[in-house]
Amino acid sequence: MSRTNRKILAAVVVFVLAGAYLAYNGARSSMAYYLTVGELLDRAAGMRNADVRLSGLVSAGSIARDAIAGTLAFDVTDGTRRLPVRYQGVVPDAFKDGAEVVVEGRFDGQTFTAARLFAKCPSKFEPEDEGEDA
Amino acid sequence: MSEIGALAVVMAFVVSTYGTVMPLLGAGLRRGELVHSGLRAVYANALLLGVASTAFLYALLTRDFGNAYVAGYSSRDLGFWYTLSVFWAGQAGSLLFWAAVLAAFSALAVWRLGRLRELIPYAAATLMGTSAFFTMLLTFVSSPFARLPVAPADGAGLNPLLQNAGMFFHPPTQYLGFVGTAVPFAFAVAALVTRHLDDEWIRATRRWTLAAWFFLSWGLIFGMMWAYVELGWGGFWAWDPVENAALLPWLTATAFLHSVMIQEKRDLLKVWNVVLIILTYVLALFGTFLTRSGVLSSVHAFATSSIGPLFFLFILLVLGMSFGLLLTRLGALRSQGELDSLVSRESGFLFNNLIFIGAAFAVFIGTVFPILSEAVSGMKISVGPPFFNQINVPIGLTLLVLMGVCPLLAWRKASPGHLLRSLAVPGVTAVAGAVALLAAGIRQGTALAALTLCVFVTAAIIQDVHRGAMVRRGHGETYAVALGRLVARNPRRYGGYVVHLGIILLFAGMAGSAFGTERDAVLARGQTVTVNQYTLRYEGGGTYTRGERIITEATLTVFENGRLLTIMRPQRNVHTGRDEQAMTEVAIRTTPREDLYVILAGMGDDGRVNLRVIINPLMMWMWIGAGVLTLGTLIAFWPQAAAAAQTRSRRLAEAA
Repeated sequence: MSRTNRKILAAVVVFVLAGAYLAYNGARSSMAYYLTVGELLDRAAGMRNADVRLSGLVSAGSIARDAIAGTLAFDVTDGTRRLPVRYQGVVPDAFKDGAEVVVEGRFDGQTFTAARLFAKCPSKFEPEDEGEDA
Repeated sequence: MSEIGALAVVMAFVVSTYGTVMPLLGAGLRRGELVHSGLRAVYANALLLGVASTAFLYALLTRDFGNAYVAGYSSRDLGFWYTLSVFWAGQAGSLLFWAAVLAAFSALAVWRLGRLRELIPYAAATLMGTSAFFTMLLTFVSSPFARLPVAPADGAGLNPLLQNAGMFFHPPTQYLGFVGTAVPFAFAVAALVTRHLDDEWIRATRRWTLAAWFFLSWGLIFGMMWAYVELGWGGFWAWDPVENAALLPWLTATAFLHSVMIQEKRDLLKVWNVVLIILTYVLALFGTFLTRSGVLSSVHAFATSSIGPLFFLFILLVLGMSFGLLLTRLGALRSQGELDSLVSRESGFLFNNLIFIGAAFAVFIGTVFPILSEAVSGMKISVGPPFFNQINVPIGLTLLVLMGVCPLLAWRKASPGHLLRSLAVPGVTAVAGAVALLAAGIRQGTALAALTLCVFVTAAIIQDVHRGAMVRRGHGETYAVALGRLVARNPRRYGGYVVHLGIILLFAGMAGSAFGTERDAVLARGQTVTVNQYTLRYEGGGTYTRGERIITEATLTVFENGRLLTIMRPQRNVHTGRDEQAMTEVAIRTTPREDLYVILAGMGDDGRVNLRVIINPLMMWMWIGAGVLTLGTLIAFWPQAAAAAQTRSRRLAEAA
């Protein structure tokens, strides 16, 4: 291998290592368990202080909103089991009864406190309508 | 009409299959008439899918609710343009759109590039194989012409969220980009099969690649515009899996556009270029698959999607066949040239490629992380925006550095002294820019670095163009003529520079969002909220009904440093009708400096409003950057006979 190639290889290695380090750090700081309602309820004890991304459907008729306080409470369900969610912030347009939602936050065994709320339209629209995010 | 359309699709499937087999057979048996017949199937396929699309359009525009798709996505109250956009609003329609665009592109490619006698049979077979897959889906799995037993009086309607200009243009543009990558891919496959591994296939499909890249870019831009204006959360990018799926082929296509230049000039990176185009095409398929199957959007959607498993198999097949073929050709792909120095234009391109591939790899890993982690540990774990930002921000900054330095580097081996002299003006300008930015009060580190680098790159580009023009002026041309001829002689290079300027503006807009301000406020009538230099006074609001919309609107008087500026009316609407749908209509006031973006989060029974006020600096420059990028692509698209001749003569000189 020529000297030039060795130098280039060294530069590439430095580059790749830097990238890997960034990726490792980024992953460590933003990893969250990605669970359904049933999975979270089954593992509630082990999930006390863990970051969780929970997916499910908005249980019909469970939405309670206070437009002024900006608070939102609703139940999220996987079809059989359900758990209550509390959220404060701007609510995405796609959020409504029966909508597919992903909430990020923590579960204390009783209530899921969400820091972020994402919603997708119910089945009719394939997720081509990207980024219907909070 | 429905029967005609359905029949045309079935026939297109048959013809595509024929068009896959015949050219291969003809080329294998050296029977020209078989190849010829296969190529005519390409035209027939385009004609048939044209008929199918026309029949489908007819069903849409005549509101034929006996058609299951039309009944599912359209309705009587939909205007002309959105009725048209129903074409690609759902699965069956967008698959038909894909197949029709592919058919048209294939016909165009065979017509324009038919002169490449060795390559064309295999390229045509590759394109028709893809067409056969899509028409198979349209025939057997997801038909846009399926009938309902009883036609309903009205259709279910198009989601109001999709009724926006950005959403009208975004899907077809994205698909044009996805499909466009099929042509250079097909010619790469043909080059591999025939062992014609010089840069013929690259030069022949150069403008196809450029066009595909252009549409991929605009697909992203339309998507961002839509998210910013319509979704009402104040941002334009959320690292959503579907967004990532559109970004991935753009990243690899951009890498490909750059690295082919090294192969053309120096005969390096042959294998790499084939790998890049294969990846780009597979990622385009992956993007289509992801947006259509919902495999990542929810845990269970994969199984419920009718086309998911088939699509997955098709992608694996393409991947396996392309890389299998590549492996058997590795020997013939050995590059003739060699890198001469670490500090050279070539290695600059090499690092550019590393960056794009690194970014693509990171985005890919982040996107499929839940699937990977479940496979490895049995637990689904996902990563969020911080993951993507922490990787991609440094990558973006490095990219800016390269964008500024690369054009200053000489091919083969750059002399350090010359490089330093070239860096002097851009470097000093960048330092001055940084001081100005600090004086303007920008303290956010990333934004400061990004904007300083933007100044650096702009100065480097202007310096390089200026130098070129000065050399020509030395031959007695006026400056303007010199500039014009300089660009005309090498449209690719200077078009590329203009694209870079567009990218710089996009980066500036993105950097701007790093030092934005956001504030929530609950206001009663007459109360004010102040954000930076803006004061917003809530004058009152109300709810009224217009057609199928219940509109809740707040009226705000906006003052800038005490001076009356404008009146803004953010809304929060509910579309009633078959499907109730909330619609946030944000109010945006755009200036070159920043956007004032107001969201009406809610209105109480007592008339108080809950507002979110966001200041997004430099947003307008993103959209201007998109325009500049378009201009640059058009310049680069210009025929470059003179430039090609120049390159050839330089090559000969180098070889001598």
